[in-house]
Amino acid sequence: MSVLRFDNVSKRYDGGHDALSEVSFDVAQGEMLFVTGHSGAGKSTLLKLIHLSERPSRGAVVFGDRNLLKVRGRRIALHRREVGVVFQDHRLLGDRSVADNVALPLILRGMRRADIGKRVRAVLDKVSLGARANALPSQLSAGEQQRVGIARAIVGEPRLLVADEPTGNLDPTLSAEIMALFESLPELGTSVLVASHDLALVKRMKKRVLVLNQGRLVDDISPQDLAQ
Amino acid sequence: MSAPTANASTRPARPNSRLGTWFDHHVYSLVASVGRMLRKPWATALTIGVMAVAITLPLGLWAALGNVERFTGTVEQSRQISLFLKPQVTVDRARALAEQLRGRGDIATLDLRTPEQGMEELRRSSGLGEAISAVDGNPLPSVLVVTPKGDETTLAESLRTLPDVDVVQHDAAWRQRLDQWLRFGVRLAWVLAALLGVGALLVVGNTVRLDIQSRRDEIAVLQQLGATDGFIRRPFLYLGLSYGLAAGLIALGLLTAADRALREPLAALAQSYGSQFALHGFDLLDAVAIVIGSGVLGWIGAGLVAGHYLRQTRPTT
Repeated sequence: MSVLRFDNVSKRYDGGHDALSEVSFDVAQGEMLFVTGHSGAGKSTLLKLIHLSERPSRGAVVFGDRNLLKVRGRRIALHRREVGVVFQDHRLLGDRSVADNVALPLILRGMRRADIGKRVRAVLDKVSLGARANALPSQLSAGEQQRVGIARAIVGEPRLLVADEPTGNLDPTLSAEIMALFESLPELGTSVLVASHDLALVKRMKKRVLVLNQGRLVDDISPQDLAQ
Repeated sequence: MSAPTANASTRPARPNSRLGTWFDHHVYSLVASVGRMLRKPWATALTIGVMAVAITLPLGLWAALGNVERFTGTVEQSRQISLFLKPQVTVDRARALAEQLRGRGDIATLDLRTPEQGMEELRRSSGLGEAISAVDGNPLPSVLVVTPKGDETTLAESLRTLPDVDVVQHDAAWRQRLDQWLRFGVRLAWVLAALLGVGALLVVGNTVRLDIQSRRDEIAVLQQLGATDGFIRRPFLYLGLSYGLAAGLIALGLLTAADRALREPLAALAQSYGSQFALHGFDLLDAVAIVIGSGVLGWIGAGLVAGHYLRQTRPTT
């Protein structure tokens, strides 16, 4: 079953720059895959279309059975709750504790405070940050901050997790730990789409890889092909 | 890091009731906005101060006009029409005419001043007693002093047609001028209130705009996590409301202080002219309306700016 489908999607920005041209692909439920390409290849635009920060100029982006072109108003926010996002620069709220940052998606969903506390503790334990729940982001290392970002992205059990260069600022050991965490998510039914230009990392993970070049999808490499 | 497993604690949590969610979100927004105000005490004090002055000025003018209107109301009540009778009308004829006019419904009181009384009054008030005594005879006519009950202009016009009346003197022009000044004052108060109200809106709007600018990243994160426009707008609305309520209270305090400071000397001044006029401030209902109105002004200013910002962040095609 497909969680996400790009159907001949093009995106042209106001200045006339074609960020994406006729891109088509599917993401299955529980699948983990990478999107790679040089800087400016269109990776970030692709993630923005999934996340409804932008809309396609042509074609359709379908999430589950929902054409995102038709998602308007309040439904944009509701759609975003089904997509977890991990940023390269973490984007944690500096004046709130780790636990409060992770709790945000659950507060937005209107969960009971008691349930929020339980869920946050459980997710922080998963990313090995249970002991730092009351710390401020500024008191954490870069790797710990990224793990908080991941905890915040998965705490709402999204159907799809998108990560934009999630290991960009991390050393190889921490990168491997983050990737191990991502790899475990599809077991719970969450699909994972990681945008990265770190080819060594992408090859090491042996997952499906979409290769973008100047806005075009130039290759869709299966794990089997990658292994060869 | 341990791999996630679907244990009891990660099972989908029960959602709050709609009312519970609404309440939680409002508490969250209120705490966030009050915290933001307290973290920047000087900026908060300046914003509230400017807004308070902007509200105080038209309200002060308004209160002053209210008092002037009350004062001129008492002046109008005591204003009279003087009927100077023709020189050939005798005192007896004047008395008969006075009796006849006292029966009219549009006359409250009527006094007759005979030529002798008029001469005596002139002698007393002018300081020319001897010179006046030297005048042969009494050239003054009888005068009827009428206090009108209803529309004095119509009454004056009606009295002018009486055959025994030579001249009708009343202060219609003076009254009209005063009325026009008052109307102008009221209109000026409205214009000032509108301009300064817009000023107060802009002050709050600009403060909220700066606050939004400094929190762009946080707002972007909240939007990406699935925050609705309402959730993002709400802390700013509370911020604007808090600014407005605080400014309204300060404006009320300033006006009350001005009222206290002016009341006594003004009463003493009025008393020296034989008047019982006393300054009237705002009653409880006025005070509540001022504070609520000011709060609403802050709320609207914040809502306009936050709404404009949110429209700009919508996804584009």
